[in-house]
Amino acid sequence: MSSPQRTYSPLAGLLSYLIPGLGQIYEGRVGKGILFMVCLYGLFFFGMYLGEWKNVYLPDSARTNPPPINMPNVATNIYNRIQFAGQFWIGIAAWPAIWQYNDLPVPSEQASSFWHDFQRAPYERRAGPHQGPRTGYEAPFDWPGKTLNEIQAEGDKTWDLAWVYTVIAGVLNVLVIYDAVAGPALGIALEPRRVQKEPAV
Amino acid sequence: MSPLFATNIYWHLPILIVVISLVYSATRFEQWRSIFVEAFRWGLRMTMFLFAIAALLTVLAYVI
Repeated sequence: MSSPQRTYSPLAGLLSYLIPGLGQIYEGRVGKGILFMVCLYGLFFFGMYLGEWKNVYLPDSARTNPPPINMPNVATNIYNRIQFAGQFWIGIAAWPAIWQYNDLPVPSEQASSFWHDFQRAPYERRAGPHQGPRTGYEAPFDWPGKTLNEIQAEGDKTWDLAWVYTVIAGVLNVLVIYDAVAGPALGIALEPRRVQKEPAV
Repeated sequence: MSPLFATNIYWHLPILIVVISLVYSATRFEQWRSIFVEAFRWGLRMTMFLFAIAALLTVLAYVI
């Protein structure tokens, strides 16, 4: 018996990249689509929440932290924040980090400090009280928020676990995109079939 | 609340194991029954692997 011809749907793959499970819903596999959407967005946003909304970002660090070999700026920045290479695959939910990376307009800090800082590279440490010009990673001495160093020094390992949640969500969505493009990896033909009982005569 | 329940980050493991095994299995099969059976298998494998690592580290902690 020959297996059925596998069909490919790049549009469904694109939709599942944008929003996990959307490609499956577009193909009529609504249950699986909702499962992917709930599980992956659940992991991603719970991870962001655990990380105090400061663990999905792409810093512009090519100049201050150059890699051992010569690379383009974007590659260097991803090299310096390799977690984003996994987080990126969650789709639209990680696009604010790209928006912030490109210094595009965001709400002012007075209007909404949450959206102003959403997926923006956070301050790593606090500048001293009498320091001169700050680097991009240093918060002003009297800044009311918490820097990454302070979050990690005051808390347990939750912040580090939190970015793992977001990376797992992004990487799992690569499998979901494949499922949307080409169907389940083992194919429908390999599904174990229930034995149909013969109707009693 | 007991400090064990309040602060131990290992309580995140069951959540991760369930979600990862479920999503992974759903990318391999189409029928719900197959998905749940495969998810259970992967959950069991991951749990046993983690317990094996924990046991190994415990033994090493006593030996060294």
